Amino acid sequence: MNSRPTDPKLSARGEFISGVLEELPLQAGIIPFGMVYGILGMESGMTALQTFLLSSILFGGASQIVFTQLYAAATPFGILVGSIAAINARHLLYSTSMLEYLGQLPFRWRILLAYLLTDEAYAVSIRRYSLRPHSEVMHYHLLGSGLLLFIVWQLSTLAGIMAGAAIPDYLDLGFAIPLSFLAIVVPLLRSRPELVCAVVASVVALCGQSLPWNSWLIIAALSGVAAGMASLYWAGDGS
Amino acid sequence: MIWFIIICCGLATFAARFLPLSGLFPPELPRPVRQAMRFVPVAVLSPIIITGIFISPEGSLELDGNMRIWAAILASAIAIRTGNILLTLLSGLLGLWALQLAF
Repeated sequence: MNSRPTDPKLSARGEFISGVLEELPLQAGIIPFGMVYGILGMESGMTALQTFLLSSILFGGASQIVFTQLYAAATPFGILVGSIAAINARHLLYSTSMLEYLGQLPFRWRILLAYLLTDEAYAVSIRRYSLRPHSEVMHYHLLGSGLLLFIVWQLSTLAGIMAGAAIPDYLDLGFAIPLSFLAIVVPLLRSRPELVCAVVASVVALCGQSLPWNSWLIIAALSGVAAGMASLYWAGDGS
Repeated sequence: MIWFIIICCGLATFAARFLPLSGLFPPELPRPVRQAMRFVPVAVLSPIIITGIFISPEGSLELDGNMRIWAAILASAIAIRTGNILLTLLSGLLGLWALQLAF
């Protein structure tokens, strides 16, 4: 784990700044995403305060959007929390892969960095950890990328809440949500198991719209995972 | 009640981000769990994408004159070619607005 050479020249400040700078280009996608969330949050019937604080309590774009949709549709508690947990279960993977680099930190650091471990901060900082020489202070890189994302996310949520009423319905801005997810998912569909997973989850979602309690999402997601696993084992890669 | 739901969702999310780093569990997840996790983003996001395209705000399947389908195809092509989130988003939205104006 410490087999790589460590670079003593890297300062905490330098790590922090490079985390911020490498995270910066991603904000072009985060700002419209956060604004759309703010708008949808207000439309779902949440108050401005609830919409705003969800951005720091949950701090996960995709799950917050789904939250607004399920909340607006009066989804029962268990299904709503279960759906959010399913969406964010991918963070278990991120956190596991960070263990190698952050596992030795004091407890309070691990709590803070876990809180900041979003898709975009993870994507930027794991590249730094796996590709560049290690340093004693490299946790500041994730602090930088995570903190920038946190601040921009809160501000764009706020902008969405304030702009909400001024944006006309015919612009169909809610369509930005499937589009931004499309941009994430399409590049992942490189192999057959992923493709099978996407097709099965999509078909189940469309057919399951009338299922009770808005359970279509969690049922579609579980079907997709099961189909992907089946495809993996079918191809002989699973054992 | 809504605050209670928000807090529970927040705790579930934080748990996913923190538990592996907490040191309370073995660092290696069992292999089937790791394999299943690989599919989670696609399995969760695909249903949201597909319903966002095909299901109308009223909750019914919408095929005739649904410009979102064409806008999504355009955006997918951009996503495959560029892999850029912002370009995908812009091409899809601008495509949708252009189609709505034209038809």
